[in-house]
Order: sequence, then C-alpha cells, then structure tokens
Amino acid sequence: MRWLVAKRGRTGDGRGWHWTDIATWVWLIGGTILMFGPAVWLVLSSFKTPAALAEFPPTLLPFAQQTVEVEGEQKPLYTVTLADGTVRTMAELRRVGIVAQMVDPDDPGAEPARVNIADRDPVREVDFATENYTEPFMRFDFFLFLRNSVFVTVMATIITLLTNSMAAFALSKYEFRGRNAVMLLIIATLMVPLSVILVPLYSVVAATGLMNNLWGVILPTVATPTGVFLLRQYMLTIPDELLDAARMDHASEWQIYWRIVLPLAAPALAVLAIFSVVWRWNDFLWPLVVLSRKELYTLQIGLNTYAGELNVQWHYILAMTVVAMIPVVLVFVFLQRFITAGIAGTGLK
Amino acid sequence: MSNGGATHYLTAPLRWLARAADVPLRAWQRMTGQGGMIALFLLPNMAIFSIFVLIPLGMNALYSTTGGVEFFLADRPYVGGEHYARLMDCENYLEPRSCRDDMFWIAVWNTARFVIFQVGVMTLVAMITALILNRAIPAKAFWRAVFFFPVLLSPVVVGLIWRWILQRQGLANLAMFEMGLEPVNWLTDRFWAFFAAVGVSVWAHMGFYTLILLAGLQAIPRDLYEAAEMDGTPPFRVFYRITLPLLMPNLLVVLVLALIRAVQIFDEAYVLTGGGPGTSTMFMTQYIYESGFANLLRNPGLAAAASILMALVLVVLTLCQLWLSRRAGGDR
Amino acid sequence: MGAIELENIHKSFGAVDVIKDVSLNIPEGELTVFVGPSGCGKSTLLRLISGLDQPTSGRILIDGQDVTRRSAADRGLAMVFQSYALYPHMSVRQNMAFGLENTRMPRAEIASRIEEAARLLEIDPLLDRRPGQLSGGQRQRVAIGRAIVREPTAFLLDEPLSNLDAELRGTMRAELAALHGRLGKTMIYVTHDQIEAMTLADRIVVLRGGVVEQVDTPLNLFNAPANRFVAGFIGAPKMNFLPRPDGRTMGIRPQHLRLGEGGLPVTVDMAENLGAETLIHGRSEDGHTLLAMVPGQVTPERGDVLSLQYDEADAHYFGEDGLRQ
Repeated sequence: MRWLVAKRGRTGDGRGWHWTDIATWVWLIGGTILMFGPAVWLVLSSFKTPAALAEFPPTLLPFAQQTVEVEGEQKPLYTVTLADGTVRTMAELRRVGIVAQMVDPDDPGAEPARVNIADRDPVREVDFATENYTEPFMRFDFFLFLRNSVFVTVMATIITLLTNSMAAFALSKYEFRGRNAVMLLIIATLMVPLSVILVPLYSVVAATGLMNNLWGVILPTVATPTGVFLLRQYMLTIPDELLDAARMDHASEWQIYWRIVLPLAAPALAVLAIFSVVWRWNDFLWPLVVLSRKELYTLQIGLNTYAGELNVQWHYILAMTVVAMIPVVLVFVFLQRFITAGIAGTGLK
Repeated sequence: MSNGGATHYLTAPLRWLARAADVPLRAWQRMTGQGGMIALFLLPNMAIFSIFVLIPLGMNALYSTTGGVEFFLADRPYVGGEHYARLMDCENYLEPRSCRDDMFWIAVWNTARFVIFQVGVMTLVAMITALILNRAIPAKAFWRAVFFFPVLLSPVVVGLIWRWILQRQGLANLAMFEMGLEPVNWLTDRFWAFFAAVGVSVWAHMGFYTLILLAGLQAIPRDLYEAAEMDGTPPFRVFYRITLPLLMPNLLVVLVLALIRAVQIFDEAYVLTGGGPGTSTMFMTQYIYESGFANLLRNPGLAAAASILMALVLVVLTLCQLWLSRRAGGDR
Repeated sequence: MGAIELENIHKSFGAVDVIKDVSLNIPEGELTVFVGPSGCGKSTLLRLISGLDQPTSGRILIDGQDVTRRSAADRGLAMVFQSYALYPHMSVRQNMAFGLENTRMPRAEIASRIEEAARLLEIDPLLDRRPGQLSGGQRQRVAIGRAIVREPTAFLLDEPLSNLDAELRGTMRAELAALHGRLGKTMIYVTHDQIEAMTLADRIVVLRGGVVEQVDTPLNLFNAPANRFVAGFIGAPKMNFLPRPDGRTMGIRPQHLRLGEGGLPVTVDMAENLGAETLIHGRSEDGHTLLAMVPGQVTPERGDVLSLQYDEADAHYFGEDGLRQ
C-alpha cells in the first residue's frame, strides 16, 4: 500500500526497498534534471562567447581562449606540439590556410615557428563573458525594454490591487440590488481568454488613443475577474461585526475599507500581488498587438523580436532571457509558499 | 499596516492619498448614503472591466459580420455571414486543402491534435508526479517546487530556452549523439516540431496541475487507506476504488482547465517555432492574430469570426466542466 | 443624559416581521436587560437603537431628540459586541484610539482617556498587545474599554459574556455590575441567560416573537409574572404548571414546594442530590411532570409517593388566555 499513500515516518517501513521506492527516486531525480536542467543550461550558456556557443560538442562551463600581448596586440594562446616533439605554449601571430605562425610570448623577437593547425590546442580557462549582459543594455535597447517591463508590471499591479479590492469589498460586505448579477457577470467572464476578444479590444484601445502607449498594455489587464473573485472570497471571512464596530467608531465607509478590511485582507492581497507581477511581467500576446514602436517594447516583445531576426545573436539573446527570468525566479524562491497555497486554494493561475 | 519596514515606506504615498481622500468621500457618503459609496467602490473596476472586456465581447459579433481592413466600425461595410461562410466552405473538413480558407482548417486540426496529445500526456505526467509527491519522501516541499518551477516562467523564456536546447547543435542532439543516435532537426522537421511544441507545453504547465492533484490527494482521509489495509485490499484496487473516485473532482478541474488552455495555445509555440516549419505548428490563436493584425492582407472580420467559433468551443468546454463538477459533487 | 424611547417600532426583513410594534421607555442611568429565547428579536432591537439597522417604521428618541434617521456614529452610543469585534491588526491602544481619532480629538486628550479607562479596567499592561495575544476575559475588558473611552450617553451590550467560560462569566458579571454603579450611565444589555438578567438588571424587558411580554424589575417579574410565558421563562428550575378543573392553570415554583403531610401526592421518577438541596423529578396524580427543589438531602426511591406542600400565597393562576389572574 505504501506505493500509494504517505506512510507515517520515512520511505518504506523497514522491510527494505520496494520497486516503487526505486521508481520514485528515478522519477524525482530525472524530473529535477528535466525541470531545472534547461534553465541551468541557459544560464551557463549565457556566459559563453559566440565562439564557444558555436562549438559542438558544447562544454558545460563557459570557456574562453586565453590571449597574450605581443608587440602591443592581443594574440590567442595555444599549446603547440612542435616538429621535434616538444610541447610549448605559444601565441599565434597570423594564420595562412592550415599553417599558423606561432611565437613564444616571452621571446617575441625570435623567428616565428610554422605549425600545422592540427598540432595545436587553444589554451582555455573558465571565463564568464559578462559582456553578453552589459552590451545589450549599452548598445541595444534592452535597457528601455527592461524599464518598460518594470513600469507595466508595477503600475498594473498597483491598479489591480486597488480596483479589485474596492470592487471585492463592495461585493462582499454590502447587500444591494444587482449584486448577484454583478457576481454572475464576473464569474462568467473568468474564462474569457484574450484571444477571443483580440480584434474588438484592439479597436477599443485604438479608439481611446492608447495604441503604442504603455497604458494601452496596462489598462485592459487590470480589471481581472480572477482578482475580484479571489479577494471577495477572502473578504467574506472577515466578520461583519468588525465593520459594525468601526461604524460605531465614527469610521466612514471609505475608512472601513482602507483601515479595516484592506489590512485584514493582506494575505489574499499578497497572493494577488504575486500573481499580478508574474502575469504582467510575462504578458506576450497583448503587448505584441498594442506596441509597434521599438522604444515601447517590453522585455518579452524585445526578446522575441531579436530572437526572430535572421541572424540570431544567441549570446545576447540567452543573456537577456536570463534577465527576463530573474524577477520570476526571485518570486519563486522567496514567495513560493504563497503561490502554492493560492493555487491549491483557488485554482488560480 | 504596521508590519514590514519596506512595505511601510513603499505604501506611504498611497496611505497619504487615502487619508486625504477621506474628506471628500465622507461628504459624498453624507450626500448619497451607502448606495453612493457602493457605486463608488464598484466604479473603477466595473468601468475598466466594461470598456476592455464586456464591450469588446459584444462588439466581436459586429466585427465578424462586417468586412474590409478598417478597424473603426463605422467604416466597415456589412457583409452578413460571409466570413462564417468562407471559414466553413469545405468539401471535406478533414482535408484542409479542399477548404476555401485552408489555413483556418489547418489551424483547427493542428489545435485539435495538440489538445489531445498535450492534455493526455500532461494529465498522465501530472498524476504520476502528484502520486509520487504524496508518498513519504524527505524534503517534500523541495520536490514540489522543482516540478512547479517552470510554471512561472514567461512563454517567451520557455520558448527561447527550448529553442536553444533543440537547435541543430543543441543539448538535445548532444544527448542523442552520446546515446549513439542520429541527430534530429527538432524544430525544422514537420513531424518533430509538432511534438516539440507538445513536449515544451507539457514541461511548462504540468507543475500547476500537479499541485491541484496533490491538494486533492492530500485531502483524502488517511483512515480510508488504513481501513482498506485492514481489509487486505490489493493496492491497485485501492487506487481504483478509493484514490481515483475521491480525486475525481480535482481530476475534472485539471482536465477541463487543461483543455481550455490547450485550445488557446499560442505564446510558447509561437516563440519556439513561429508556426512552422510550413504550417505544422500553426494553431488557432496564431491564426486569429495573423489574419487580424500581422498579415499583409489583414482581415479583422475573418479573425473575429474565427475567434467567435473558438469561443463557442470554450463555452461548451466550460459548460461541460460545470455539468461534470455538479454531477461529481452530487455523487457524494 | 441617556434616556432612550422607542415608539411603535416595526422591523421586517423581507416578508418576515422581526419586531412587531415595540414601544419602550428606558430611563436614564438604568441598566436595562433585554431577555428572551433565541430569535425573539432582542439583538435586532439593540441594533435598531444603535443605528446599525433602520426600523421599518416607528421612532427612536434619545433624550427627547428623534435620532431615527441619524447614522450609528452620530447617536453618541457605544456598543460591545458578542464577538468583541476588536480590530485584529491594531494594538489594544490603537483599538481604543480608533474611534476617537475619527472624531479628530486632540492626541493628548485621546491618550489621557485611554490611560483612565485602562486603569479602571486594569488593562494597562496590555495596551501594546494585539487582540490575538489576549485571553477571552482580557479581550472582553478591552471591548468594554473601547466603549468607555468614547464617553457615550449610553452603552449597548450584545450578549457580551456569552463567549466566556462559566467561571469567568460570573466574575465579569459582578464587574459589569460594579462598573455600571461607578459610571452611572444608561446601559442596555442583551442576553438569553435569565440568571444574567436577574442579577444585573435594574429592569428587565422580556421579549418573545418580536413582542414585549413584560417590563419590570427582576423581583417583580419573579413574583408577579404577567403571563405563563414570563412565568416559565424567569426562574430556574422552571415553574411547574398544573391544569385546574376550572380551565385555569396553576403555577408553582419548584422552590416553593416542600415535604409535608396532606399536600400534593407526587410519584418520584428521579432525585438529584445537589448537596445543600435536592431536586426531585416526579409526576402528579393526573400524570403531569413536576419539579420540586427541597432543602437538605432527601433520598427517595423511584416509585415512592411523596406529599408536597405549598403556601397558597406562592401559587400563580393563569387564565385560558395565558394571562395572570
């Protein structure tokens, strides 16, 4: 039975290993490699030079060929097996066909040796090509993309929390005519995906003058039915007597929302905030439709555009993919507990 | 809120605004009573919601019955059911080339195939993983996190990671090479590109469904298993007679959510293969996007008609879910 | 300050009439208890007075002023809730200050009022704790303290002791009585527990089905209940009712029965020895159940026939309409 259900205590029950115990560990370890492996490989690759990226078979760690200064110029270093069988470390001056002229860097004045390129190996050391990260920010528009992404994510999350919590407050703490109708409407649209309203939404955004405007990306996303639903369910658990007490205490309805209900709904707000950050940071299709001017691209759109070019500069793309992954990984590492609780509780994604 | 120094300072301007807002809002409350305040609380959300969800939802029908390349409705001539007729004009629905809009039917059948493979494989994998995570293993939270991790990644990141791994000289072919197999053109071969899209999608989303199934498994009372053990019930019978029936509500949620999302597949597949090679990974959402915006001969009306047909499928799936979950709820 | 009048109050929720034409006069400075079985409308009546709910019709006056349309905050009342309703995210001090801050009272004044109330209720060491860190009795005191600092014209208490264990309830009951004596403010106290009502009240309002059955001092209610319902509701154990051949019903309290020759013959079902007294469960000749609380330790066997005497002065007679005659 223990293959099916957690037994009290550790794996097994002292009767040795069952085949299912082995299968479990194979699955867990294989799963770890398959789940984490690609991301780790991405990070390692992102530190490789274009030359190292083109190698097959690839190396695990980023290696770069060492260079040395010879007569004022940087020359690549090789381990060379000379005709007499001696092995020396030499710098390449120039190369003609399959023959390279090599010189000892400690004795640059000597006559260069002619070496077949098959008889030498580059001298390599682990070297992180951090220029993969710095150059896209300096030479390309990635700094702009990053700024746009941060702006969209932060603004959308703040507005989402504010408007959703106000609506959820009204829908959970007041009796009024039409309340059930509003709730029904919200639940009915929980499942309306963007792709179903893509065309008319485009025209609405165009009509409001928000094309090629980051607010055109932000506004359509903030009135999430999911957020209203999640917050309302939580606020229903706040006792009404607290609100009555506040009313006796001269609090206005706005103060009741702001000083009583909002602080008490903090756990649900935290879950929604985390999801909103992840959603908005990752958004793709809608920004792709709204933004056509390059300086307004978010990181996701910018990445896709550069990755879609004919001659993909993988060393930059990989580094920027890592950058796009960082906030989500931070959320994952520090706030995973909230997320799993949120999903298990509400089926939210 | 007095907890957390950073949150305290970050929210300071907001708190100041809220306090300043109290004076006019108190006056508003005195003038209009509770009803006025309810309206005020609902207004921002419902206004945004109406403008950007409800109105577009209603306008979709108008777009699908008008023609031309303009987006402004007044500039669009009424064409009636022409777009629907064009989409449905087919000698043999199973053979896209016999259809007037062959691309639409290619997208339909690609999506259908994708849904079947992706949902099937993903549910199976998520189920096995959930069963394993429900066993007595050390560091449970860690393993759960491992399988959940890709769920948070953006589709662009997912697409690019796997494009890098599945490229001609990528890690995947290195693995094939090490195992003595022929390298495969994962993303440029019609057959493999489709299954690459399926596999990547399963990789990216299975963690989410694993969590839902795991929550269901953990909610099954342990005494039931102990009672079954006392009765000497064989393990597979316990699985079919206890675990599976009690997990049914969660399994249904997983199946229907996965179906609804698989029908909408776009982002990661688009980044991974761009719909290619040829049309082998062209799915419904990409068809809507491209016919509405990206193509040289854009046709918003056609895109709207296609999106309404897709919405119909989604509505049917959602109703199925409601019906099934009600029935499953009634059984107990 | 603090006289409250209700004139022909009606309240209905949809088709259900919860309060049916209640008129009451609550004199200044008295502790009035609303008592009745659950669903009798006592809490609703309190909420109507507080202003948290609006009556369907009728008027509410405080010190002669019509406050029916005034909001809860503007009636100058303070309320102690059944669940205490302490704001969980605020310290005790902030809980007490919240209502005063909302009226824009100067900080120094707020601080001194909190000090004073905290000393009175002996909660000074708790001022910086959160409600979650307090025991039930401490929360109860804080809830009362939050009402006191407001210096209201009247206190409204909605079953304030029902969440405490029996022992603590006794202590708090005594403290509440003492507090009322010291503050001298009008208090309206809602409870379903008639012992609380008897021990605390200056006057008791007995409610049933949204209607006032009787308003009087505790002893008058006990000695001269206006009808069978009040007679049965007030006093424990319950009054015995024995039908008379003339259609009337005689009521006699168990405490007023004693063992002695020539009384009612009663067949014993069971006897509960409480030490100082014995509670006898039995049946009269015509089969009506009967309770008798006799002093001392008596040990009759099941089936024994005892003779129980009473003084005619202790007997109550009720007509067929249930009214006292």
